[in-house]
Amino acid sequence: MSSEEMGGAVTGVEPTDMEATPKADTTAASEEIRQELVAELDGLIRRLRAITPDYEPPRYSRHRFVAMVEESLQKLPRNVQLDVLDRLRTAFNEQWFDPDTWKGVWYMVNYTVKYNADLVQRRFTGEYDTDEWGVDWEFLDVARPFFTFLYKVYWRVRATGIEHIPIQGRTLLVANHSGQLPWDGTMIATAVMSDHAAQRLVRTLYSDWVPRVPFISAWMVRIGQTLATKDNGVRLLEQDELVAVFPEGHKGIGKLYRDRYQLARFDQGDFVQMALEAQAPIIPVSVVGAEETYVTLAKSATGAKMAGTPYFPISLTFPWLGLLGLVPLPTRWYIDFGEPIVLDGYGPDAAQNLVLVSQLSDQVRNTIQEMIHGRLAQRPSVFF
Amino acid sequence: MSEHTTILVTGVTGTWGVRVAARLCKAGGLHVIGLDREPPEKDIEGLDFVQADVRNPLLVELLKAERVDTVCHLEFAETAQPSEAAFDLNVMGTTKVLGACAEAGVRKAVLRSSTAVYGARPSNAAFLTEEHALRGSKRSGTIRDLLEIETFCDGFRQRSPHLMLTTLRFASIVGPTVDTPMTRFLKAPWAPSLLGFDPRMQVIHEDDVVEALAQAILRDVPGPVNVAAEDVLPLNKIRGLASKPPIAVLHLLAYWSQNLLASTPRWGSDASPFEPDYLRYPWVADLRRMREELSFVPHYTAEDTLHEFAEWQHAAPFQVGPFSTARDEERLRDQIEQRQRDRSQEAVTGPSAEDGGDHE
Repeated sequence: MSSEEMGGAVTGVEPTDMEATPKADTTAASEEIRQELVAELDGLIRRLRAITPDYEPPRYSRHRFVAMVEESLQKLPRNVQLDVLDRLRTAFNEQWFDPDTWKGVWYMVNYTVKYNADLVQRRFTGEYDTDEWGVDWEFLDVARPFFTFLYKVYWRVRATGIEHIPIQGRTLLVANHSGQLPWDGTMIATAVMSDHAAQRLVRTLYSDWVPRVPFISAWMVRIGQTLATKDNGVRLLEQDELVAVFPEGHKGIGKLYRDRYQLARFDQGDFVQMALEAQAPIIPVSVVGAEETYVTLAKSATGAKMAGTPYFPISLTFPWLGLLGLVPLPTRWYIDFGEPIVLDGYGPDAAQNLVLVSQLSDQVRNTIQEMIHGRLAQRPSVFF
Repeated sequence: MSEHTTILVTGVTGTWGVRVAARLCKAGGLHVIGLDREPPEKDIEGLDFVQADVRNPLLVELLKAERVDTVCHLEFAETAQPSEAAFDLNVMGTTKVLGACAEAGVRKAVLRSSTAVYGARPSNAAFLTEEHALRGSKRSGTIRDLLEIETFCDGFRQRSPHLMLTTLRFASIVGPTVDTPMTRFLKAPWAPSLLGFDPRMQVIHEDDVVEALAQAILRDVPGPVNVAAEDVLPLNKIRGLASKPPIAVLHLLAYWSQNLLASTPRWGSDASPFEPDYLRYPWVADLRRMREELSFVPHYTAEDTLHEFAEWQHAAPFQVGPFSTARDEERLRDQIEQRQRDRSQEAVTGPSAEDGGDHE
């Protein structure tokens, strides 16, 4: 990452359209661009100084600059190295920059390298912050670009009704579950993280199979997810968090292709009890598009037993292509956040009223099913 | 509590008995009897020592004769492997002590347990309350014995409602001078964590253990209470803070080698201080009762505890104090402020009645 940014910082100052510009009128145009660049760099440096007041870069000298370029270049592939050097040389030859600009670049690049080295070192010395649920903001920052890529580019998610989620305060999102792997949870979280006004962190509750899986279990905790138990849900809601649940559980996510978009049974209505106990509104969420990411033809009980998983899908690609078969198809997704269902009318004791709980559970289930059917009717195609 | 309040501490030569007894003697205004098979190495000022085994049937007579109000039962032998001798001392010892307490009309008994009795399971909630089922591992001697004791206590509470029974379930104890599974894990560079698992964990500073026990003796809180530092840290962070090298193995390998070691008793004690499950799944306790009913706030956060532990680790080879000047200064400043506060409070209320004015 550091080398990339470093390359970016250096090659970024070298505009490619420069070569296209005729030499004759470079003076005025290049002076203008130069001024802009200087101003931009100054701005960036001011911002960084404000964030880290005690950071002091090494003193600037041409030799040190070259040494650092060399050091950073070694991290890049050979052909990229040559390209960067070539570009740097043209930039120098053009006499584009005065020493001040180079000092600015020096500062930026040093900062980037130092910051990334610090980040890695701090991971090993334990100097990072987590909350009591284990959320690790630095890890989240590192993971976010990947999910944003899936959200914006791969599945081109269209999210509507995101304004129904309040800026703050406890809220329970209830969504349909689909797609064999829990991508739907990550996309709901990414939708709120990138499109909601307060960019809230969604605390998704996962099944008790997740803690058994190496890496996934640790990562899930770090990005703010936790085990689906009533205690966890109520505690999170009482801390005024935004919680997401998938009441269908394994029955929903492991659905066959022919059963797509038919909601499975909702478990016990635990999620309604959570919402009633914590007096939190429920927002129904429908996810359309995730069902087609894997075309699951059958489920294998033997496979599940052998792999130790709750279900074992046989899809068009899995297990025939091995792990490659787990790459989801790039369908077009729609995530719709419905009107909040407010439960203020009932007292906290209502959580014990099982008739009421199952009624509310059915109501939420029907709402989500209607939202899904509505979206399916409008959807032009699975992929576009 | 008055001068006539008599407190009996069992296991008074053990790690915790010695400190709790010293802490109670220092508090003043209490008659503290210490019980153990051997006299303590260093005299504790104000301690009334009685030499006897906790399983001695005459314990009832002692409790009656001394009109003991509270028994703090700290006689406990930690063992990695389940052992009959330890079981006899730990479990049979506890049943006998509690039986004697009930018969002698003792008002209250305080025990030390561990949050490991909840067990590390994938289905564990993120914060286990005291009501949670005890599903700890029966393969570790200490945890097995604690489970037996806790189960016995459950039944005992029903049968003898007159005896108030407090069990403090401590998280992993960490400190410069104690030897616990967690300190062993952090000290042994080879003891691996599990690849791809980073469970949230709790620790508690050794000084806070003593304070919490003292608090439980001085305050009446029936039932089990979880005690841990307030911050919950991922295992990797704990490892980092304690400067332990990041070594991890595949969890399947850890389970396999555990079985192998367990089948060869001679090596059993060399096994990793934690069973693989305890490094894989969360076993974090909820601290509401500690805060609200025991009104106990640990002095050290988990981060401070581990920083201090790491400093001692670094200092040990040179036989110099465990030193960070900054931390030491901070601590001294705290103490000075605390003393000033105490003095100003005393000036307002006058010497408090409970310590009889012979403080200092």
